[in-house]
Amino acid sequence: MNVVIRKAGLYTMKIGIPRALLYYKYKHLWEFFFDELDIEYIVSPETNNEIVRKGTTYAIDESCLSSKIYLGHVEWLINKCDYILVPRISDYGSGGTVCTKFQAIYDVVSNTFRDRNIKLLYYNIDPKAADFEMIAFLKMGKFLGKSKSRSLYAYLIAKQMQKCAQLKEIDEQKQRLSENKTKILLIAHRYNICDKYIGEPIITFLRELGTVPILGDIASKREALAKSIEISETLPWTFNKELVGSIPLYKDKVDGIILMSAFPCGPDSLVNDIVIRRVKDIPILSLMLDEHEGSAGIQTRLESFVDIIRLKKGDFNEKT
Amino acid sequence: MKKLKASFPHLGSYHAPLEVFFTAGFGVDYIVPPPITKRTLEIGSRYSPDYVCAPFKYHLGNFIETIEAGANTLVQSSGVCRLGYYGELHEQILQDLGYKVHFVNLAKYKAPKPINFYNGFKEIKPDMSLTKIAQIFPVVLKMFEHIDEVEDFIRQNVGFESTIGSFDKVHADFLSDLRMIRKKKELNNTYRNYMKRFKEISVKKPNNPLRVGIIGEYYTIMEPFSNHYIEKELAQMGIIVDRWLNVSNTLLHYPKKEMKKHIEDYVKYPMGATSIPTIDRALDYAKKGYDGIIHVKSFGCTPEIDTIPVLQNISNDYKIPILYFSFDTQTSETGFTTRLEAFYDMIVMRKEAKK
Amino acid sequence: MSKAYLGIDVGSISTKGVVLDENNHIKASTYLWTEGDPLYAVKRLLSALKAQLDSSQDKIVAVGTTGSARKLIGAMTGAAVIKNEITAHAIGAMSVHPDVRTIIEIGGQDSKIILIENGIVIDYAMNTLCAAGTGAFLSSQAQRLHINIEDFGEIALHSTKPTPIAARCTVFAESDLVHKAQIGHKKEDIVAGLCKAVVTNYLNNVGKGKKIISPVIFQGGVSKNVGVIKAFEEILGMPVTVDTNSHLTGALGVAILAKKSKVENDFCFDMTDIEFKTMGYECKKCSNNCEIICIYRENEIIDAWGNKCENGAIRKSYKN
Repeated sequence: MNVVIRKAGLYTMKIGIPRALLYYKYKHLWEFFFDELDIEYIVSPETNNEIVRKGTTYAIDESCLSSKIYLGHVEWLINKCDYILVPRISDYGSGGTVCTKFQAIYDVVSNTFRDRNIKLLYYNIDPKAADFEMIAFLKMGKFLGKSKSRSLYAYLIAKQMQKCAQLKEIDEQKQRLSENKTKILLIAHRYNICDKYIGEPIITFLRELGTVPILGDIASKREALAKSIEISETLPWTFNKELVGSIPLYKDKVDGIILMSAFPCGPDSLVNDIVIRRVKDIPILSLMLDEHEGSAGIQTRLESFVDIIRLKKGDFNEKT
Repeated sequence: MKKLKASFPHLGSYHAPLEVFFTAGFGVDYIVPPPITKRTLEIGSRYSPDYVCAPFKYHLGNFIETIEAGANTLVQSSGVCRLGYYGELHEQILQDLGYKVHFVNLAKYKAPKPINFYNGFKEIKPDMSLTKIAQIFPVVLKMFEHIDEVEDFIRQNVGFESTIGSFDKVHADFLSDLRMIRKKKELNNTYRNYMKRFKEISVKKPNNPLRVGIIGEYYTIMEPFSNHYIEKELAQMGIIVDRWLNVSNTLLHYPKKEMKKHIEDYVKYPMGATSIPTIDRALDYAKKGYDGIIHVKSFGCTPEIDTIPVLQNISNDYKIPILYFSFDTQTSETGFTTRLEAFYDMIVMRKEAKK
Repeated sequence: MSKAYLGIDVGSISTKGVVLDENNHIKASTYLWTEGDPLYAVKRLLSALKAQLDSSQDKIVAVGTTGSARKLIGAMTGAAVIKNEITAHAIGAMSVHPDVRTIIEIGGQDSKIILIENGIVIDYAMNTLCAAGTGAFLSSQAQRLHINIEDFGEIALHSTKPTPIAARCTVFAESDLVHKAQIGHKKEDIVAGLCKAVVTNYLNNVGKGKKIISPVIFQGGVSKNVGVIKAFEEILGMPVTVDTNSHLTGALGVAILAKKSKVENDFCFDMTDIEFKTMGYECKKCSNNCEIICIYRENEIIDAWGNKCENGAIRKSYKN
């Protein structure tokens, strides 16, 4: 099991971090923030069948797979820590809004596990209420019994580390883009594509097919946000804007695009259709994953998609 | 220049004030959208992405029907959930289908500043007269309010009318008379006259009738076709129906602060779209001892799905049954009536046991 | 001559009938396949019931109908009570087990849960998504595995290690089955895994958010499957009761309701000789194109329904 545990001094409070949804976006920010504050934390393991099963048990049937998995991770953390970190985001102001799932997740967790007596550590990002990220983290630091200056320092360090990690990622992806192989751009929320259960098998399989997966979510966010206008003018959701904006950034450097969504993702249901209707002259495959999808069916579709791309390129026999 | 013929997707009984707004305010023709039917849904589903929420499909189908009826300027609103992105995809799909219409997407002007409204309106008709719009706007708002007041009254009484169909008839006359109104005074008179007529309809209400509250997602709760005419079905079972969610309440009388305070034991933050009134009303109906609550939404509506764990807690705490309906484009009529009838039997039995 | 009450439950797969005396004792009962023709099934049912009764002694004074064809058969038999199957099953089960708290019902295409407190239904739910996890699902899987559906449960009992199967959706379950068989899972383990999957699907979908309290009664076609009974007992951690007559519960319940209604009508078994016909036509009065169903007795229309608006024929009425 890949569980991160850090030992701290006498203070024994321990935070549980569900390895799902926003974790993949904010992992460095959170982990370095707690590290700097000397607070012990535990991250739930990579998604496994048991976590999916638990999530499905607790989530309302129609919820998206990603949020079901989230509840599975929360459940895994119960009784293993003092507080479970469940942040809430209202929107990113002028950067856009978020799927209502992120507005609701705090209350979904607290209502779903009401009888389990859990304590939640939370922060709220809501520019309208002047709850910006920094203020939210200072409040969280205060709640954890840390002084304002210490929390501020921890936040700034963590923010810097997050930025470094992002730059490193972009750099690594640049390397991959220069490889002389079939490259496929994956347009998928990071919490799906990086999830062991949902996205990882797809990345692994694409590599087995000898292709290079390029992640749309690895890109300069500022550039991507600006570029998204080229494809869609009124797109409201920040995460989707960032993903859609990566298409103009990478399109000329890749051979095909895969739109991968978790059933029945609300934003993706509209955005994928816009992309298919507006992004021409490159093969696009749309994949919808749910907890019942067998891997056999997905592999067949990925294989034939890669075949089509190679046929088009005229090098069907490209070897790994 | 070609005459402007504008239209907006059909929703419940609100076509009259929209018609007045477009004709008197903008001075354009208004194409009353054909009522939502099976055909609307069929066309809408054919051209929509498969797993998008049902209201998107109804809107698309209805846009195509209004184009067939002669509209050349279509207006789509903005919204706080997926609705906020409907317009751009609707426009793209209609364009891909080869329809040549002017599509005004109000989501482009989303920041709630008067200047943005102005720009949005200007796109509908560039040479519009702001004075005319300013004159008709309060009348239109009042018209929404009156329609909602009338329908509240109907929901309380229609289940007990002595002659079946009496309320429907007066209601239809009322809506058709509203279309001619341009002045506030006329509106007041019409409203007063009709309220009198409604109150004169003979009803036989039992002493302690069954009472059910309806909560849920904006479109599905207001467009009767999309909810299998649930309010009519309940009325025919002899049930008083309460519903807070309507256009005038959400637009003009939305005590968001009070509602958030009221539900603070259950939720800390707004969960998106109509989640606050959904939970607030459920809690209120529960506290007032209603016989049951019915939650309606279209399949996959995220904000309403997220209210369900909260509603389940309210249901457990106050021992009030809640029936959940999730309508998609395939919902079977038999499945719907079986569940509704069983709900009726259950609340009757519960009520008898309480005596 | 003593009074008797007839209850008929016409489901999509089977048709059940019960005759009760004044003391709720079963005087006659039978069940047979509907074979897609409810009118003919009921005629056969009536002949079979008539043969079990002494016509000089028992006089049927009221009829109740339930099941998916309840309305049609209600019109045909001049029923005093036409009830949905949820209420009918609850009443039937309570007449046999007055202290029941939870009724689990899994039939051919429907599954439901009914919660009872002090002899009244306080909550219920029915399957929302599809037929997966119902009888139809199990029989299609049995066919695939070349097992008699009657032996399915027995085979499951031999398993010590049930195979986990992704089984909410029939289509995905099938590819998963092939996969599991390929990697060497034993047949009894797969069968037990399917039984378990039916139970977890049921609890995740129909049973979500419902408190299951003992005594639990399990009924409907799938309740004949001992493998599923065992899976329920293991997962719920409480005993689950199944009656030998559990398939008759709906008919029993509606017979009791017919008796309670105190509405008495002449009923005569001779209607097996009368010709009944149903005709459906599409109403052309608006673009709703409602399918109106008319039922005729000897070419004379006796009832019609299916209209959504006033243009249609006869209004339905719940008020007695």
